[in-house]
Amino acid sequence: MGTDETTASHLQELRRGTVVLGCLMRLRTPDYGYALLESLNGIGITVDANTLYPLLRRLEKQGLLTSEWNTDEARPRKFYSTSPAGDRLAAELTADWHRIDQALTRLTTGDER
Amino acid sequence: MTTLTDRYVHAATRTVHDRQRAELDRELRERIGDAVDARLAAGDGLTPADAEVAALTELGDPERLAARYVDRPLYLIGPRLYLDWLRLVKLLLAIAVPITTGVVIFAGLIGGGTVGDAVVNGLATGFSLAVNLAFWVTVVFAIIERTPARSTALTTWTPARLPELPKSRQVSRVDLILSIVFLVVAIGALVWQQFTVDRPGGEFTPILDPALWAFWLPYLIAVLVAEIVFTALLYRNRHWNWWFAAVNIVLNAAFAIPVVWLASTGQLFNPELFDRVGPDADGVRTVLTNLVIGAAVIIAIWDSVDGFVKAWRAQRDEVPAAGA
Repeated sequence: MGTDETTASHLQELRRGTVVLGCLMRLRTPDYGYALLESLNGIGITVDANTLYPLLRRLEKQGLLTSEWNTDEARPRKFYSTSPAGDRLAAELTADWHRIDQALTRLTTGDER
Repeated sequence: MTTLTDRYVHAATRTVHDRQRAELDRELRERIGDAVDARLAAGDGLTPADAEVAALTELGDPERLAARYVDRPLYLIGPRLYLDWLRLVKLLLAIAVPITTGVVIFAGLIGGGTVGDAVVNGLATGFSLAVNLAFWVTVVFAIIERTPARSTALTTWTPARLPELPKSRQVSRVDLILSIVFLVVAIGALVWQQFTVDRPGGEFTPILDPALWAFWLPYLIAVLVAEIVFTALLYRNRHWNWWFAAVNIVLNAAFAIPVVWLASTGQLFNPELFDRVGPDADGVRTVLTNLVIGAAVIIAIWDSVDGFVKAWRAQRDEVPAAGA
């Protein structure tokens, strides 16, 4: 039980930042909370609703997302989309992600300098 | 299907600021509605009411949810302020409570009440001061925690604030020499007072009643000799411990209790001494007696408590000291 919990908590920690990156990239086309949750989980970025909804609010507060209420359907929905600042952050995070990936690859292939 | 959702949204939004309430209300309804629809679409034969209950259960405590949405702390004092809070409470308690307790007890004794009343009053005042200090400091820190611009700790830590390493020897040679010199001087004074030259004729008028040489003066000198042995053993042991603290109390009591008893029953001083003083002999006698009683009690209590504090420190620092 101890190992499983440890593994789970480390996995969660490793994935935490990737959820932000996933949101910023995915929301280049505007979408609402539940659809985003489904599509992120669909492509393998695991995140639960209790994390995602507050995260969207926080990213909006930081100016990385913009939002707009869509009242065309019976249920009003808040559509989020990535702002220019969010785009720049996504580019920076992606670059860093690649650097980390290269560093880890060097470690696994035993080619570290 | 609306009632449960309405109640949930109400519970989540009522503690939120007006500006954010309408927005949060709308967002929650969207989230709950989508979650219910998803459960119905999954087609496990759920009724809409069951789906609503399941969706709300997954959302959890509405106040916790609202706190996460609006970034409100779910603790009284967080990690940024906790250490400042702890240090301040400890400091205030360590300074203010003993002083206040001591002052109230002292005032009670001077005011002529019984010793028991004075002690009970002192302890009660000290206790209520401690509770008040801890409470109000906590209230102030909880308010600071909830004010904006909370990015850094109140005080900045620097390496200069590191505590000293525990000494490898708690009882220094200076302590040993000072204690022994003091005890030898005290024994000398007990003997010397017998031979005070008081008049041109060269006659001796002892300060203490010569009748005490029958038992009490040799006894007090023996206790002082025992204290010299105790001090030497303590030096050899390098550190205080609970045994030393306990023996220290016994020795202090063995000296102070007879002195207080002798003084308060008027057996301590030589009656002839006051005959020479003149008309105000009674006044002088009272002042001298009170002085001796006060000094004996204060020194004995101070020294006993000091021993216990040092024993406590020694066992607290035991582990790092062993590694040093």
